[in-house]
Amino acid sequence: MGRPYGLLRAGFPFHKTLGMRRLTNYPIDLALGKEDRLFILCRSEGTALIRKYSTEDADLGSIGIYGDEPGQVTWPVTILADADENLYLTDEALHRVTIIDSEGELIDSWGEEGSGPGQLNGPAGMTFDAEGNLYVVDSLNHRVQKFTREGGLLGGWGSYGCGEGEFNMPWGIAVDELGDVYVADWRNDRVQKFSADGEFKMAFGTSGCGDSEFNRPSGVDVDRHGDIYVVDRGNNRVQLFNEEGRYVQQFIGDATLSKVAISYMMTNAYPNRLRDMAKLEIQKLLRWPQSVVVSEDGLMYVPDTGSYRVQVYRKEAVELNELQFAPPRRAPALNI
Amino acid sequence: MADEDLGLMAHLLRRAGFGASREELEAYAAKGYDEVVEDLVDEERCPPIDEDIIKRYFGGEGPDFRSGAWIYRMINSPRPLEEKMALFCHHVFATGFAKVAHALAMSDQIDLFRRIGMSNIREILLELSMNPAMINWLDNNENIKGEPNENYGRELLELFSMGVGNYTEDDIKNCALAFTGWTYAQPVPLYPHGYYSPEFLFRPEDHDYGEKTFLGHTGNFNGDDIIDIIVEQPATARFISRHLYNFFVADEPQVPSWNVTPPQDPEAIEILSDAFMESKGDMRHVLRTLFKSDFFKAARFKRVKSPAELIAGVLKLVGTYRTPTPGMPRYHRAAKLMGQELFNPPTVEGWHTGQEWIDGGMLTERINFAVDEVSDASKPGIQALIKRLRAAGDSLTPEQFVDTCLDLAGPVTLEDKTRADLIRFAQSGGDLVFSSNGSANGETDESTDRIILMLQLIVASREYQFA
Repeated sequence: MGRPYGLLRAGFPFHKTLGMRRLTNYPIDLALGKEDRLFILCRSEGTALIRKYSTEDADLGSIGIYGDEPGQVTWPVTILADADENLYLTDEALHRVTIIDSEGELIDSWGEEGSGPGQLNGPAGMTFDAEGNLYVVDSLNHRVQKFTREGGLLGGWGSYGCGEGEFNMPWGIAVDELGDVYVADWRNDRVQKFSADGEFKMAFGTSGCGDSEFNRPSGVDVDRHGDIYVVDRGNNRVQLFNEEGRYVQQFIGDATLSKVAISYMMTNAYPNRLRDMAKLEIQKLLRWPQSVVVSEDGLMYVPDTGSYRVQVYRKEAVELNELQFAPPRRAPALNI
Repeated sequence: MADEDLGLMAHLLRRAGFGASREELEAYAAKGYDEVVEDLVDEERCPPIDEDIIKRYFGGEGPDFRSGAWIYRMINSPRPLEEKMALFCHHVFATGFAKVAHALAMSDQIDLFRRIGMSNIREILLELSMNPAMINWLDNNENIKGEPNENYGRELLELFSMGVGNYTEDDIKNCALAFTGWTYAQPVPLYPHGYYSPEFLFRPEDHDYGEKTFLGHTGNFNGDDIIDIIVEQPATARFISRHLYNFFVADEPQVPSWNVTPPQDPEAIEILSDAFMESKGDMRHVLRTLFKSDFFKAARFKRVKSPAELIAGVLKLVGTYRTPTPGMPRYHRAAKLMGQELFNPPTVEGWHTGQEWIDGGMLTERINFAVDEVSDASKPGIQALIKRLRAAGDSLTPEQFVDTCLDLAGPVTLEDKTRADLIRFAQSGGDLVFSSNGSANGETDESTDRIILMLQLIVASREYQFA
């Protein structure tokens, strides 16, 4: 199915909050599984686990994965799930990709530290393409490399710098349904878009905190309309852009208490009293988000790292055809 | 470059920072002593540490994670005195997680100390009085009109500014009254979504606006008026100067005895006090005076290293953790085992220093830590040291072997007997002869094994415990 000619953007309301401290401490990324399952990747120093979770805020168990043995990760960055719910993890400390099943059993692990072709130094973002190959952001080598699922090198591009096709410690990565690749060029405060084989197509963003400005963007995803979601980590927000990289809106956080949080607080009188004494607006805000995942049905999941939860938004947009959406125009108008 | 220059520069960097790698040391020495002092006290002359990197790679909620990140700063900051003054403030204005129980408030306080540690004493005491962790630690959140709590008022005078014997009980009561209503706004609590920073709050309805007499001054004093009076007192100049001397120059007796035990170097305290008074408590000016003084330059190895200094110094020597690497919290735990749990000093007095850093158990921890760290020949600092040793010649006599190791590991100055013992040990293996293929790849050969053993003996020496 191709992209719509245009969109009638009806809204993008906050939908729900998932998780809480103890269940989802420091969530940094998540993968969408089958039957409304989520695999939430949690990382802090000395800890790494995958919380299996439902989209209805139910804890389905966890997989402890911290360590440096085969099947373990030390500094995971990205989690992906394939159609069988096998889980793919980058590890920027051990410079490898680890693949486990949904119970945590090791399937495969590949990657070695270095800067040569196929070697990795601080692998961060990772995404599947339509063929099931993997793009890996080789962050400290300032490049993107493409691998088979088994770790066979298929290609790559990028070097250190701030020109087109150059990177400075890139982080997140996404592929759209056309095969184009989007990279959060972390230290250059921009997003770059490439063809599947690394041909530069466009870049947007500059340093700052205004619209279309970034403070160390870390995550990126693209939905089926071509809308681009960028986690503007240093500004504690997600910015939404259309397929041309034009700013649409930002998300700064809207969290309410999750179901599990409400349940937990029912038996905690003292913190409830303290909450009543505090100004609560601040707890809505995103804190150091670093990834964003958009589902086929238009839900945007933002692991709200600093607040131990996932904030979920729901896209409301009506697809328009040529009769419903006028041709592009440059000049603004006041006549309607 | 004269050995004396390097030795003096190493002394400065051990005290004003946390040591230096050999390469750093030579770069500093090339600048010249006075210029380096200016770089240290005027931190804007050097770039800050890369905060982006810290934010990207270091995460974790508890004090051990936050203190691990702090130790990373100690090792890597281009502004080492900034970190050292943060540690100084943490020691003198001691606040502990054991009671505060809010890791973010504690790390906020360390950030504050990093930011204002080299400002002036008025700003330091004012910010300290408004700091939520301190307010909680010394109960000023419960200091309200009609029901005063004198805890903060007392410690402000006794431990943070003037010292016992320079004020009366009435001064304490009136000081406390001036700080009534100085509290913090209730932050959103830890559950269910993590810590939020508390912020200072002045509650007028809880403040005692009555007339107060403090150190001979009378008025409707608020807390900042009290601090204005405190910072003008010669007693404050002497007390803070003695703290600086104890922290940067040579071990003094513990603080509670200061009102009865005179300083070991009254002239030095006088010089620092004069600098303090003439600059109205400008810490940069006092520190510049200190580091350029003859008494400082003559004070090599006159202080027992604090655990934080020992750990950071050893890590500088072995060259690890110069880029983000997992595992920093282990050094928080190591410091704790040595008696200095960062973020959690034992009491409001801070840590007892000098010989009290050393008892049988803690000395064992210190030595085991250092020996373990230098045991891995693949570490970059050890590799660099071996390379320099090789550059000294294909073969070194036992005396050359010992002296070059001592030089490259510090320079470390040993007592004659200790040095003689090391030479005797080295003689048992004969000359140190390097094999032709070397050990640059980290593989051990006989010469590498002997070098590691010698380094282990050096860092296990009594003298290495001193800064």
